[in-house]
Order: sequence, then structure tokens, then C-alpha cells
Amino acid sequence: MGNHKKYWKSEIELSSDNEMVHKLRDNEFVNELPIDNFLENKETLKDTNTNRRDFLKYLGFSTAAATLASCEGPVNKSIPYVVQPEQIRPGISNFYATSISDGFDFANVLVKTREGRPIKIEKNSKSEDQGPNARIQASVLSMYDSSRIQGPTMDGQDISWELFNLNISAQLQAMQASDKRIVLLTQTFSSPTTESIIKEFVNKYSNVEHVVYDSISESKSLDAFEILYGKRALPTYDFSKSDMIVSFDADFLVDWQGGGFSKGYSKSRVPKNGKMSKHYQFEANMSLTGANADVRIPLKPSIQKLALLKIYEYISGENVNVKLEDELDGKIKKLASDLKKSSGKGVFITGISDVNAQLIALKINHLINSKVININKLSLIRNGNDTKVDKVVKDVINKSVDGLIMCGVNPSYSLPNSNVFNEALKSLELSVSFSMNNTETAMLSKWVAATPHYLESWGDLEIKSGNYSLIQPTIKPLFDTKQFQEVLLNWIDSNDLYYDYLKLYWNNRILKGLSWNQALHDGVYNLKSVNPLQYINVSLGNRINELKNSVNEGFELSLYSKVSMGDGKQANNPWLQEMPDPLTRVSWDNYLTVSKSDAERLGLKNTYESNGALNSNYAKVLVNDQFIKVPVVIQPGQAKGSFGLSFGYGRTSGVKNELQTGVNGFQVYNQFDSTQSVEIEVINEVHEFACVQLHNTLMGRGDIIKETTLEIFNTKDVGEWNHVPRVSLNHIATPVTSPDVDIWEKFDSSIGHHFNLSIDLNACTGCGACVISCHAENNVPVVGKSEVRRSRDMHWLRIDRYYSSEETFFEDNQTKDDISGLGEALSVFGKMENPSENPQVVFQPVMCQHCNQAPCETVCPVAATSHGKQGQNHMAYNRCVGTRYCANNCPYKVRRFNWFLYNNNNEFDFNMNDDLGKMVLNPDVVVRSRGVMEKCSMCIQKTQKTILNAKLERRVIEDGEFQTACSLACDSGAIVFGDVNDKESEVLKLKKDDRMYHLLESVGTEPNVMYQVKVRNT
Amino acid sequence: MSSHYEAPIRKPLVTGNKSYHDVSVDISAAIEGKANKQWWIVFSIALAAFLWGIGCIIYTISTGIGVWGLNKTVGWAWDITNFVWWIGIGHAGTLISAVLLLFRQKWRMAINRSAEAMTIFSVIQAALFPLIHMGRPWLGYWVLPIPNAYGSLWVNFNSPLLWDVFAISTYLSVSLVFWWTGLLPDLAMIRDRAVKPFQKKIYSLVSFGWSGRAKDWQRFEEVSLVLAGLATPLVLSVHTIVSFDFATSVIPGWHTTIFPPYFVAGAIFSGFAMVNTLLIIMRKVSNLENYITVQHIELMNIVIMITGSIVGTAYITELFMAWYSGVEYEQYAFLNRATGPYWWAYWSMMTCNVFSPQLMWFKKLRTSIVFSFFISIIVNIGMWFERFVIIVVSLHRDYLPSSWTMFTPTFVDIGIFIGTIGFFFVLFLLYSRTFPVIAQAEVKAILKTSGDNYKKLRDKK
Repeated sequence: MGNHKKYWKSEIELSSDNEMVHKLRDNEFVNELPIDNFLENKETLKDTNTNRRDFLKYLGFSTAAATLASCEGPVNKSIPYVVQPEQIRPGISNFYATSISDGFDFANVLVKTREGRPIKIEKNSKSEDQGPNARIQASVLSMYDSSRIQGPTMDGQDISWELFNLNISAQLQAMQASDKRIVLLTQTFSSPTTESIIKEFVNKYSNVEHVVYDSISESKSLDAFEILYGKRALPTYDFSKSDMIVSFDADFLVDWQGGGFSKGYSKSRVPKNGKMSKHYQFEANMSLTGANADVRIPLKPSIQKLALLKIYEYISGENVNVKLEDELDGKIKKLASDLKKSSGKGVFITGISDVNAQLIALKINHLINSKVININKLSLIRNGNDTKVDKVVKDVINKSVDGLIMCGVNPSYSLPNSNVFNEALKSLELSVSFSMNNTETAMLSKWVAATPHYLESWGDLEIKSGNYSLIQPTIKPLFDTKQFQEVLLNWIDSNDLYYDYLKLYWNNRILKGLSWNQALHDGVYNLKSVNPLQYINVSLGNRINELKNSVNEGFELSLYSKVSMGDGKQANNPWLQEMPDPLTRVSWDNYLTVSKSDAERLGLKNTYESNGALNSNYAKVLVNDQFIKVPVVIQPGQAKGSFGLSFGYGRTSGVKNELQTGVNGFQVYNQFDSTQSVEIEVINEVHEFACVQLHNTLMGRGDIIKETTLEIFNTKDVGEWNHVPRVSLNHIATPVTSPDVDIWEKFDSSIGHHFNLSIDLNACTGCGACVISCHAENNVPVVGKSEVRRSRDMHWLRIDRYYSSEETFFEDNQTKDDISGLGEALSVFGKMENPSENPQVVFQPVMCQHCNQAPCETVCPVAATSHGKQGQNHMAYNRCVGTRYCANNCPYKVRRFNWFLYNNNNEFDFNMNDDLGKMVLNPDVVVRSRGVMEKCSMCIQKTQKTILNAKLERRVIEDGEFQTACSLACDSGAIVFGDVNDKESEVLKLKKDDRMYHLLESVGTEPNVMYQVKVRNT
Repeated sequence: MSSHYEAPIRKPLVTGNKSYHDVSVDISAAIEGKANKQWWIVFSIALAAFLWGIGCIIYTISTGIGVWGLNKTVGWAWDITNFVWWIGIGHAGTLISAVLLLFRQKWRMAINRSAEAMTIFSVIQAALFPLIHMGRPWLGYWVLPIPNAYGSLWVNFNSPLLWDVFAISTYLSVSLVFWWTGLLPDLAMIRDRAVKPFQKKIYSLVSFGWSGRAKDWQRFEEVSLVLAGLATPLVLSVHTIVSFDFATSVIPGWHTTIFPPYFVAGAIFSGFAMVNTLLIIMRKVSNLENYITVQHIELMNIVIMITGSIVGTAYITELFMAWYSGVEYEQYAFLNRATGPYWWAYWSMMTCNVFSPQLMWFKKLRTSIVFSFFISIIVNIGMWFERFVIIVVSLHRDYLPSSWTMFTPTFVDIGIFIGTIGFFFVLFLLYSRTFPVIAQAEVKAILKTSGDNYKKLRDKK
């Protein structure tokens, strides 16, 4: 039923030809809006006649327009796949085997990708070599660095790759024609294909010379090995075979000779059948390695050299004419005879950057017939040659080089005389820098070739002779970048893509008929061909005198590389900046480490602010005629007369302002010698540190870290060395672990999974790979220096480091037990706050202990933290109102509070305030908001995934499938995770082990994390 | 109160030859008159402090708790210190009006009104802190057991913080009802005297139609007695429950069974000190010396002395228990209190709370107005430090030395504390100009027994 009613407005409408009627019918608004009239002319504006109706129309229009404009929804930059890739399924991670080789860190890794984004670096279990260290764990974030170079440039102007290559090829040819000298200065690639391409490049351009430059040089060790064995490489060491390790300043648990030894070392450190290795460390700085040693003797570098000669004398019988202090001499004599008797299970290593010292070390190993050193499996990850580099630098400076092509190196930062070099670099005819960031060198080079991150690259690697591995991209290059190899291929007019070249090379020369796909899948391919090297007997006569003559009476500076920063390539990585140093526990800085007595003598001071924050004054470090101004940390165990300073800091270019921290140690790395003679003066200005641990000693609290000696461990009853505290129950001393003293009702945890985590204090070296792994897995925010300084670091997993106040922790406990009376208590506890001059050190990783009777759970008013059936202590972030009561009541102080909004906040301008940086976030873990508590979840997202996968596949979960980020990252096997309801599980064995104890058993929290008593072989 | 006889040995509680009419006039003078300059000056300062505090609270809520000086080890500091301090101050009111009522202590008549007002105002200050110390205060209502649509989501009845919520809200409501009940005859008196229509209207509303009939008075007496009976256990329960926040935890220095009586004694101690502080000023400013006599102040000083001694005993018992327990963490916690980096806080507490009240043994000192005022301030400072010592000094060095650190307040911490003091005085100053600050009806009831003129008349006989 249509409605055809017609309403008349006026009788005029009856006359259809009326003009007015037409007008009204056609046009609802009869009057034109006088917009022209209104807006046409500014001068006449005030004369226009906008009447009330017009005004309302304008008002209506503009309100509607403004409303519409403001209603626009937020733009989400998510683009659906047009063609769904087969392998990428939302919510499912893919893993790819690849390798890193940034010139300093080399490792085979497994990359976890989610929805096409690499988000986590894990170890490749197929690899024989060591898994990723903390820097490699963090390297995934360096890819999502928004300050990366996004395309090639010429004189700072963007340019296309075609023009870039065309121009440089032309210039290369022109320079070849006029026979101008060009140097190709690169990192150590240890990549067969890259070396092959470089060879082709050098063949084509006869005027090009290839020089390898390692920013932290191992050239002296390479030279020494070449002298004795005829090949310029480094031997490898399998510390798992060792009974006795003698190290002279070799920080082999960190970066000595490229690192990668801690896995084997830890194996030898866990007592098995009553035996474990004995580790002697003679060193100047308190290194991570020294901290793990059984016997640590602090000696300044010069005395080390003499002591080294003396050991050589006792072992070889060759008289070196060196006189040492009687006590030291006695120790060394004993050591030498033990080494001789070690029947091949001893090893002697040194990190002294002196070819003679290295030679002696190799010779000692030869003399004691060490099986730990392997001269046939060679490490290829350091290949720099000091003499050649030095010559190149001199030639650049005196202009006898006309072109410099650099890849993977940053000489403008890492050369000691970089000022002069930089001037010369600017005036070179050809300067090309292959770089990912606007490094100091890239800023001064005419041409900058933007290179991809290793996760966007193809490549190959031979870390140890015969151990080949492949590098494959895990994401399409984020920016307009090209690999060094690809560009070189272009410059030699090859039409090959690097991928084709690589595949061809591998198929022809390495795989020889084996499957390329399999090799790519595994990431590694081991060739077991050995060309045994022959020992060349070299007389040491002169060399001994040379070494003796290099001895220095004054202050000496030992330069070292720090766990978190290495040689400074990843200075723009906030995870690494915030990672505390394992020993000083200082983050966001490097510093001069000084012994207490030297500090007192020189007037160097560490002070604490009223909120506990650490301050220091500065030392003016004079080396030759130049000086640097460095803040100071008083380091227990630092040898008197010696100072330490780490490399890797003081980057000024390509690094965000807030991350430009510390002092550049390379400035005083003269002649690539890590030992420099220095003079020190005091500058009385205040430096502010961000130190996460402000109390350094254990205060005699022996039940926090239980430890014993191997002798007691082997001969005495468990109760003697793993004493469970007792409490009086009806006047009977009852162990606190007994159910009789527990006032709580027990839950039945025998059904389903029940997770436990074991931490072996013997195997843990304190390297911190787990800390970064946890950071990456759990989206832990970076809070910056000023917040860390306020004791607000967010790490879910921390590695506590304690120094003994006496010479040993055992004596600490005794001192505390012997206290009688109030007066003595006051003075003794006061003294115990200060570490000894040469303390014992212990590391203890602490994360949420997942107490079965958790103090945090009872106190939360809103039940935001409660217990899970599988043993975890859960944290429901969205239920948390932030009373912080749980953190106060946590005896382990593992809970971390979101004091501010740490994401999308310009005050915290780190990766979570950056669209690109946020790509690294793990989608399985929620990003916490302001005002909530957070803490270790025992990686519940990982355990749940394992359970669900097994359910889908209808199978029983095997032991070892359950992993947390920390247990997965721990290459030394210190952290073991698993299900104690699985009777076959390793973690259950560890739970029943005699060495097992729980942290703060007497509080009655019944944690699901346990520790294994530390046994020292003293 | 049946007999008008009182032993001559008892000192008069109302001096100055007051008649019933004099009492009415004196008490309503402050309400009917105009505020003087001093009042305005003090009020302006209090208001400025209050506004500054509001600014700091807004800054905290908009930016994050990070603007305070807290850290990963010390999760509570000034916030909960202030909370417990204010709650403690709020204890005197109920004690005076309820417990002393049950014990038929006539001297309470002159001070109970203001003491209760103080209670209510300080509990308001206290209640502020648990709310704003939350990381997400806008979700503060989650601590209430409100039925919701989130399935089994419910509050955790194991948590002492939840007990606090109940304890404080109960205490506040009972105190408020008790106070208002007592106010009814006095408000009615003001209403009856009021000449301005608006004033009359307001006072009629708030006096709930009090007519002064015998039935009114009978009910009034009954309700007062019932409420006093209800409020008496609250005096003990509130601070007991507040002390559970600490006593039920596992932190050395917190985990202490002596806390409930120790906290209650401390609360009465600080409450009386604050009553002294306020009344010594008020009797001067509002010319109430004849009602709040030196006798009153002396009696309060004696309460301060006794509770101060109880608190001191508790401190020493804590030290003894730490030693006797043989628990090294416990022993160190107390050693650290006395000699650690915060030794000055501990010894400020000891000096203010244990040593200074002992001076009240001297009659000359406890009857000196100036000295009483001075000690009342000292005790309030001492009691603030007591809570600071318990909270911050216990937390900053607990079990694992690796987490040990220090705490320093920021300007926001300080600003919020000053703000609550400002808020408290704003409320109290407004109260002193609009409410009968002395329970005049009750004072009139004892006038014939304890008024000096009547006592003198009887003594002459």
C-alpha cells in the first residue's frame, strides 16, 4: 500500500507553471549559500551580510564536518596476505638454522620467527660449537634498529644501488688504470665463499690488497701458533677433558680467542665420581673467568710475564733467570709439577698479548703433552694481522693509499689514533664503507653501502676447521640493503646472485653431492678431514729475554672486552646496555677498575647516594701523551698496580643519545696491546653509575649459597656440607623441610605436570646469556640508566654476585658464627659489608622461585597472583591493582613493578617506543601496562605450547622438551628445567641429588626452583 | 551522675564560675562570631598545603608511582608510613569517647568531641594512602567484594590488606555515627540560638529534629552506651589488623607476634599526643581554658607517659626476641635498625617515643602547657619514625644481600604527606568554626558536680 498523500503548502502550487513552484520543487534550499560572498575577500568580510540562518548553516556544516573528521578510526598498519605463504601460520613459530658472524661473535643459531618476524635467537643443537652468548641472544633486536642505514648513500645523499655500483666500478677501473693503491679492510669472515669472492675481486683489481682487521686483536696468538705449527690460526681447547687449567690473564669464559669455551669448561667443573677440574687463574683484572677459578692469584701484567717464565723454567728445565717473591715462587713450583703430572689433562693458556708469552704457553702445552689443546681442529674466527693493519693505517695517514673499502670494521672508532686516521679517511679518493649503522667510519666515508643484518642475509661460515655452517635469511631485508658479497660480485661484473654463488660453491666444494636442503635445514655440516700439523721446535732463548725486558714497574692498564658489549658493535642495543656486568653489576657504563689500596692511595672514590645509587669520581688515565677521563669502580680482586678498562663503549655515532655511554677504551689500545703502561690522576667530578647490586658481600649467610670443598664433598656426610636448617618442634630439632613443621595444607601435585628448575652453582659461570634470553622471550622492558640507578631494573632473572669478606666464604661463615656479644656483632657485621681485597666470588641466578607456599600469594588483596596446578606461581597482570605487597613479602625480591608506562612512552625511548623495535616482541607474552607487578612465569607460554603440541600429536612428552628461555640459553648446563612428575626426568634426578638445596629453606616457602651446592676444588 | 556529690579531693573540671548559660555562650561563640585574622592565616596555609598535596596526587596518578622514591626492594615507604601514622592518630578519639565513657571518666566530656572529630579527619587522611599507593588506583574498587560478571573472580580473604579495608571502613562509619549522635543535642542548641534563617535551616537539618524531650535524652543515653560498647573493641581491632599487614608477612622485622598490642599502644600514644597538640591550641584560640583545664592536659600526659612506656617495652622486647630467636636474619634486621644506614631514624624514634614521655613523671613538666605541647609534637614525630623504621628499614635489607638498597623520598612523597596534613587542618579548622567543639550538653551534665563554683559552695558547707 503506497501512500500517495500529497501535502499542499500553498494554493499557488496549483498553478504548475509558477516559477516559484518550480524552484521549490527542484531545490530544497532556495537561497544559495553566500559562501563566495562570505569568503571571497578579506577586506569586504565585515561588510557581508551573513544572516542568522546562514550562520546556523555554517555552524551545522562545520560541526558535522568536524564530527566526521574526528570519527575516523585508528589506522592499523596490518596488511593481509594476498597469497597466504605456506609456512607462515599465525600463532605458530617457525625455526630456521642460521649463523652469526659479525666479525666478533660467531655462532650457529636457531632463529624463532613468528608471522615472518625473527623474534628470538636460540642455540642450534646440531652444532658442535657453543651456543649463542648474551650479545648474540640480543642481536635480534639490533635488526629492528630504526637508526639503521636504509639504503646506499654518496656523501650522505641517498643514491640508487645501480648508480652506486656503476660509479664505484668506474672509479675502481680508473684507479686500477692509474695504478692507485686500494685497501680492502674487512673483519674476519671465516667464510669460504666470501673469501673466494674477495680473491676474485683482488684478482680482477690488481691494485687492491685485502687486509683483515680484528678490532680486538688476537694477532699475537696467531703469530705464535704460526711459528710453532706453520699455520696462522688458533688452536681449539676442549676444557671438558681437563683436570687442571692454568690460565694467565686468559678470560676464556668471555671473549679470549673469540670465546666459546664455557660449555666444555662447565662440564669439567661439575663433580663427577669425586672428580672435577682445578682451575688456577693468574690475572690483573677480576674477570668472569677468574671469578670462577678455584685459585685466583691477582698479579699485575708484568709480574704475570715473569711468573709465566718461571713456570716455563720449572716445566722445561730451561733457566730463565727470573726471581720472584718466595710465596709466589712456591705456588708456581707446585703448579708446574702438578701440570707435569697431569698426564695430558692439564692445560696452560694465556691472554697476554705478547707473541713470546703465547709461544711459551703453546710450548708448555706441548711439553706437558696436553690433550685439552687441539692443534688439528683450528679456530678460524680471528684472523687479523696487527702488522698489516698498522701498515695500512700508516699508509692511509701518509697518503700512500688512495682508496679504502671497509666492511664489518669501524676503524674510526676502534683505532687508537683514530683522530689522525679520520682526517686522512676524509681526504681519500675512494672511501667505501659497508655498514648497517651510521658508524663513525660510515659517517666519514664518501660511499656508504647499506648492508643487511645477518638475519636478512645469505652466507656461510667455517668457525672451526671442518665445521661448516650456513647463514640464511629469516626475513626479507627490511631496508634497501645489499650484502657485501653481492656488491663485490657486481663489481667484478659477475652476473651471479650471491645465493647462486653460495649454493654452487657448497654443492661443488663442500657438500659434494650431499643435499643442499638438508645442510640448509641443519645449518651446519661437519667435515671430518684432518691435516695434522707438525710441531716445529723453535728455540726461545732471545724471546725469553725480550719478554723479560717488556716488564714495567709502574701502573699498568689491562684492556678487556665486557660480556655485554664486546667490541661495541651493538652499542645501540638497549638490551645489552641494560645488561649488568656480571662482576661489577654496573649497567649502562664502562669504567676503570681499581684495587682498593690503589684507589685509597690515588684518591679515587666510590660513594653512595642517599637512595643507594653508586657514584664515583674520575680518573685521568694518561697513556703516552694522550689521556682519557674515566669513572672509577673499586674492584675487589684487582691486582695492585693494575687497572682495567673495557672496550665497546664510548660510541658516538649511529647510536641514540641515551645509549652513548661510557668511554672508548680503543683510544689507548696502542700497538693492539691490551696492556698499557699508564699514569693516573684524580679528577674530582661526580660520575653517576647505574648499578643493580649495591651490596657486594654475603654477610656470612651461608645458607643462601651453600658451598663446600671437593675434599669435604668426597669424604664427609651430606649433612656436613648440605646442612638443612633445623627448628625446634616439641624441643626436638627438626629439619625445616620436614612436613611436621609445615603449618600449611599441602596441595596434591602428583597429577599432571609439576615443573621444577634446577640451577647448578658449579656449572654456572655467570655469563648472563640467560638474562638476555629471558629479556627477549618475555618482553621485559628496558627502563634506562636513570631508572636502573634508582634500583628499578626490570630483569626477571638476575645473576647475583657475591664477594667474600674474608679470603673465602667459609671463613665468612666462621667469622659470623664466632661472634659473641653485641659489641662484637656491631663491629663484625660492619666489616663484613666490605669485600676482601682478593675475594672468592660466587654467582647465583635468581628468578621467581615459584614457591609452593608462596608468601606473595597470600597477601594480594585481589588474588592477582595465585598458584598453578603445575607448580607455577601465576601473575594475572590485568587483575593486578599494584599494591606491591607481594613484592615486599617476597623473600627473594624477584618481583618487578611497572613504575611507569614503559611502552609507547617518549620518556622511555627504547625499542618499545618504536614501531620497528616493537617487531621483536614475543606475541605469546603480553606487554605489561603501568602500575602492575610482573615476574618470571617459568615461561608458561613455552610449557603450554609443548603440552598442546604433544596433545595434538597424541604422544607423551619426553624429558627435555619442556624448556624455559633461561634453560634453553644456558649452554653450560647449569639451568635444567623439567617435570618432576616424570620419573625419568633429569630434573627429578637433580631434585634427589645430594647437592640439592632450596633457597632460604627456613622461611618455609617450598620453592620449585632449586640450587645445587657449589663445590670448590681448593 | 545521679548525685551531685564529688569528693573534694578531685579538682574541678570546669573553672571560671560557669553557669549553664555561660557554657552555651562560650561554646557557641566560635560559631556565631566572625573568624579572626589568625584563623584565616592558618586556614590559608593549610589550604595551600592541601592544594599542593592534590597537585602531587594528580601528578602521581597521571604519571605513575615511579614519581615516588620507591624501588624494587622498598615497595612501600612514605605511603604506608603515613597511612599507619594517620590511622594511629585516629585512635584517641574512640578511646576517649567510648572507653572512657564506659569507665565513667568525667574529664572526657571536655575533649571527646574534638578528639572524635580528629579521629574522623585523620582516618580520612589514612584512607587516602591505600588508594593512591596502588599502581592502578582507578581499579581500587576491586579490593571490595563486589559481585561481578567475571565468573569466580573474588577478593582474597587471606590478604591482610583486605582486612584493612574492612577494619578501616567499619571504624570510620562507627566513629562517624557515634560522633554525630553525641552532636545532636549540641547542634540543636546551636539551632535554637541561631538567628540567621540559613544557619537555622542547616542546623535544624543536621540536628535531626532534636527536641530535648526526656524520651530524646533517654534514647540518646542508650544509643551512646550501645555505640560505646561497639566502638570499644574497634579501638583494639583496627590497629591490630593494621599491624597484621606486617605481622603476617615473612620479612624479618615485620614477622613479629608482638605487633598487635604494640601497635594499639602506639596508636593510643600518638592519638593522645595529637589531641594534646590540637586542644592546647584550641583552648587558647577559642578561649576555652575554663573547660579544657590544665587538669585535662595533665591527665592526657599521664596516658601518653603510660602508653609511651608500653611502646618502649615493646621495642625492647623486639630486640630481646631477635636475640633469643637465634634466627640470623631476624638478628641482623634489628642490629641494622639500630646501627645500619638508617640508625638516625631508629634513634629518633627511640628518643621521641621512649625517652621523652618519661619526663612526664615530673609534675611540674606535665602540668606545663608549653612543655606538653612540645612533647606532643615530639611524640608525633617519633611515631612517624616508628612506622618508617618498621616499613623502610625492614625492607631495605631483608634476606638476600644482593637486593639491599636504600630509599630516598622525592618531592612528591613529601608533597603528598604535607598535603594530608593540610587537608587535616582544613577540615579541623572548618570544624572548629561550625561545630560545637565541646560536648556542651555533657559538660552541663557535670557542671554541678565538677564545676568550680558548685564545688566551692559544697566545700564551704
